[in-house]
Amino acid sequence: MALKINRRAVLRGIAGATVALPWLECMVPTRAAAQTIPRRYAILFAGQALGGDNYAKNSSRVDGQNITEGGHYIADTSYGRGYALTTPLMPLQGMENDFSMISNLAIPFNQSSTDGSAVPSAGAYRDFHGGGSSPLLSGTRSTSPSYVCNGITSDQVIADLNDGQTTHKSLVVRAQPSFYVSGYSFAGRQYISYGAGGGSGARIEAQASPEVAYRSLFQGFVPDDDDAAARFDFELRSRRSVLDLVLEKRAKLMSNIGRADEQRLERHFDEIRDLETRISALPPITSGVCFVPPDPGADPPIGGDHDGGGSGSVTPGSGYSDEHARSRIFADLIHMAFVCDLTRSASLQITAFQSHMNVRPIADGLGTLPGTTRPARWASVGGDLHEVGHNGDPNNRGQIPSAGLLGWHISHYAYLIDKLRNTPEGGGNALDNSVVVFTAEAGHGLQLNDGSSQNQTHSVENMVMLVAGRAGGLNPGAHVDGGRQHPARVLVRAMQAAGYTGNSLGEVNGTVDF
Amino acid sequence: MLWRYFALSACVCLAACTGKISQSGGGNPGGPPAVDPILAVESGVRRLSQAELDNTLSDLLGEDTAPASRLLNEDEFRPFDNDYTIQQASDALITSLEALAEEVAERAVGDAARRSALVPCTPTSPGDAGCFREFLNGFLPRALRRAVTAEDVESYMPLLDFATEDNAVVNNDFYTAVKLAVSATLQDPEFLYRVERGSPGSTPGLLELDGYEIASRMSYLLWATMPDDALFAAAASGTLNTAEGRRAEAARLLEDPRARTQLHRFHAMWLGYRSIPHTAELVDAFNRETSALIDRVILEEPGSYLRLFTMGETFVDDALADHYGLPRPTDGEGWVSYEGTGRAGILGHGSLLAAFSKFEDTSPTQRGILVRTRFMCEEVPRPPPDIDTDQPPQGAMDAVCKYDRYAEHRDQSSSCAGCHSLVDPIGFGLENFDVAGRYREHDDGLPECIIEGTGEIVGVGDFSSPAELSQLLVDNQYVDACAVQQFLTYAWGRPPSVYEEELLAEMTGSLRDGAHDFKAFMLGFLGSDRFARRVEERF
Repeated sequence: MALKINRRAVLRGIAGATVALPWLECMVPTRAAAQTIPRRYAILFAGQALGGDNYAKNSSRVDGQNITEGGHYIADTSYGRGYALTTPLMPLQGMENDFSMISNLAIPFNQSSTDGSAVPSAGAYRDFHGGGSSPLLSGTRSTSPSYVCNGITSDQVIADLNDGQTTHKSLVVRAQPSFYVSGYSFAGRQYISYGAGGGSGARIEAQASPEVAYRSLFQGFVPDDDDAAARFDFELRSRRSVLDLVLEKRAKLMSNIGRADEQRLERHFDEIRDLETRISALPPITSGVCFVPPDPGADPPIGGDHDGGGSGSVTPGSGYSDEHARSRIFADLIHMAFVCDLTRSASLQITAFQSHMNVRPIADGLGTLPGTTRPARWASVGGDLHEVGHNGDPNNRGQIPSAGLLGWHISHYAYLIDKLRNTPEGGGNALDNSVVVFTAEAGHGLQLNDGSSQNQTHSVENMVMLVAGRAGGLNPGAHVDGGRQHPARVLVRAMQAAGYTGNSLGEVNGTVDF
Repeated sequence: MLWRYFALSACVCLAACTGKISQSGGGNPGGPPAVDPILAVESGVRRLSQAELDNTLSDLLGEDTAPASRLLNEDEFRPFDNDYTIQQASDALITSLEALAEEVAERAVGDAARRSALVPCTPTSPGDAGCFREFLNGFLPRALRRAVTAEDVESYMPLLDFATEDNAVVNNDFYTAVKLAVSATLQDPEFLYRVERGSPGSTPGLLELDGYEIASRMSYLLWATMPDDALFAAAASGTLNTAEGRRAEAARLLEDPRARTQLHRFHAMWLGYRSIPHTAELVDAFNRETSALIDRVILEEPGSYLRLFTMGETFVDDALADHYGLPRPTDGEGWVSYEGTGRAGILGHGSLLAAFSKFEDTSPTQRGILVRTRFMCEEVPRPPPDIDTDQPPQGAMDAVCKYDRYAEHRDQSSSCAGCHSLVDPIGFGLENFDVAGRYREHDDGLPECIIEGTGEIVGVGDFSSPAELSQLLVDNQYVDACAVQQFLTYAWGRPPSVYEEELLAEMTGSLRDGAHDFKAFMLGFLGSDRFARRVEERF
């Protein structure tokens, strides 16, 4: 059911009253006319590295055969425009002029000391995985192995910038719903968005249920049909009455409790109040391209745990919750949330930091290796995502298996970009007014932990970011040498394109030009 | 054959591993609590865990689809799922809770049987206020787990407007209002959280809980769900404000199957086997084996809890007996002797032996960490940052046998030995038992790699089987003290603080004085004055 938003629909329920048609007709066009097309910002995250341990950029092992062959490492290509797409970039075929690739980025770390107090500005604590997250996403140094960003992340800078302009301040979603390793849980690996100041108190919990995310975004739309609109109105009023009833209990519950308890419950009530505000907000401005997307239905079931090891223990049914479908649904939701101006900031964590997602179902779906005659070489990639990078599968290692899985992540990025660029907006398309960043968790190079091993996944060197869109005058299409600059400088440039007027993120100042 | 079992490459200097008992991470930092923990301990508002919420919805409304597990983000296990110190409300949580509440409320009134259980009267009209009040007076005290006032009930009455609204396009009736009242209640923080207040007691800062607060403490600890009618009645009558009353109710709760399930879950989270990577059939067989032992040593056969670690027989069916190579039980399922197998108690079970495995094989390091952290309640420090624990030891790659591949861990000239000597020798003493709990003579697939199977807890003693390891842990008074610490961590919903060390020691003493009868220990804990008290967290 794809309900079109009907501007003429009778809208009741604002402040509990029935609002008559003339009011709407006078208000809505005014608001629409006054509005310039907003700029949006999204960041998509892959919980894997760019290559495989101990394998150089042109080196792989597939089906037990060692292969020396270039073009599989993501940035193993010439600079400038018209560069050859590498294996992970294949999903972006035909979109070469819609995104830029900035490679050779590096996060600084202290070569001579592993002490938390010795980490340089915007640098990484010498322990991967946790040490890399804060500088990558918030431009702020990490001082411990914990997965925590110590400053605000780029998506939330843009969210703050647009606060109050849209129904949802930001859309923070995650496709991988479970950590999957027997006996363990995420422990911070599930956060890529942090509010002002960073730290564990500022982490923003991602919505991991596509079903709930859909409902949260699109329940505010008024159906076309008059009867359906009236039923919707009844439901909206009852939802608000229910939330009001809960909110009215606030003062009484808060009386006579301790400060620590009060603080926890205040946060809960604040979130309910925000929900109440969102559902009371005017439905979004309609246009021919903004409509309620099809209901994705119930979420795919959540997969069970495995031992976090190599190929054999990761069995069908464990470690996979159809992240493919979940990512696609979230990309659909981000697209429509942008087009309908429900939010201007989004983050999608496709896989968690140090992701132990079972890659077998994905490898099976990758088909033949692009650009070669070798058939179905992906299908033999086994194990979980983390272990593929660390050579957990004895027969499939190095760049080709990693490139295939990185390409799977990028396929969701390509899917979102393609949807945006095929959505007419103003004189162009929605991608003209958007910035969409893709980053992986790690690069491929000098190991962060020991500071000496080369061609390692636990590396904050040779990092790559993709930036799509033309918002703010971006002119995408090139492969740019980042010259070992900090990846957060790419984020600053992307944020500026989305309307940010500052010139820094955390401890990182300035931009990489692209 | 994978060779990346273990975690080291070039080992460098690291701080001495003392194996100090972990006491860090209490409810709040910032100095000693206001009241001596011997009298009462700090507590904070706790949100129901996913499991508790699903159980509560089942008992309250007959909702058996486990919606919390589906719609809410998964809980963090540290190792328990109920650590309130890391709970934080979020947009994602609130949105999911609204979806959950509406879905559950819809089903609760949509099913005739469930609806009539919920609404005891038959409404005479859509706006039957009397019947609506009757429903609320029955439902609210159970949902909010306290006595409700007329004011509480009246606050829901405006929802009746949705029942009586003259609206041609909506099928609204009396139950529309019931549904909304259920939905509102399920989103009420008083339902979602356990909010304890208490009233001032004899000592400044000490708060005495009321009967309902005590009832919820008891039911969520022993059942992981809301109180039943009898427990509510005990709360209302004041019975729970006496030690005898609490003991009597606790004894009753322990007779219920929900108490068994809760004890099984507690042990599975504590001992790390809650989600082991084996086939569903094997996991089910392991769980039945381990559950039978827990039930027997705590509930069914009065005596020492230490039998959990020393029991000389185990509960198997024919298939599991064949799997282990044990004699089959008579009648298809039952207890068989461990004699001559080197096994004893829970450490002989496939569930435990599968926990903390890695790369389809046992990890002596991980098993050592399991024993140190979960059986001895010690803290094993992280490897130093410049050791990449995901990387194989380059120097040991040539070695074929697992024992040889761990050589660098044992090399006293390397800094690895400092920590690994605390854990690896424990794991090597269990190496004759594979990742599915089967006995083996040699490394998997490598007949030339004969497993010696001898182990050591450095500073404690040598052993060469799960049975001997268990005996060592029992004789040296590790497991009883650790069980008490883990039980309190779970009961309090947070790790103990350094200020509670004396209390832990006292309670361990009480377990020992009671001949290690764990049921008696639990009854004593729930009966104690301090169970019925609280202290506010420092802020």
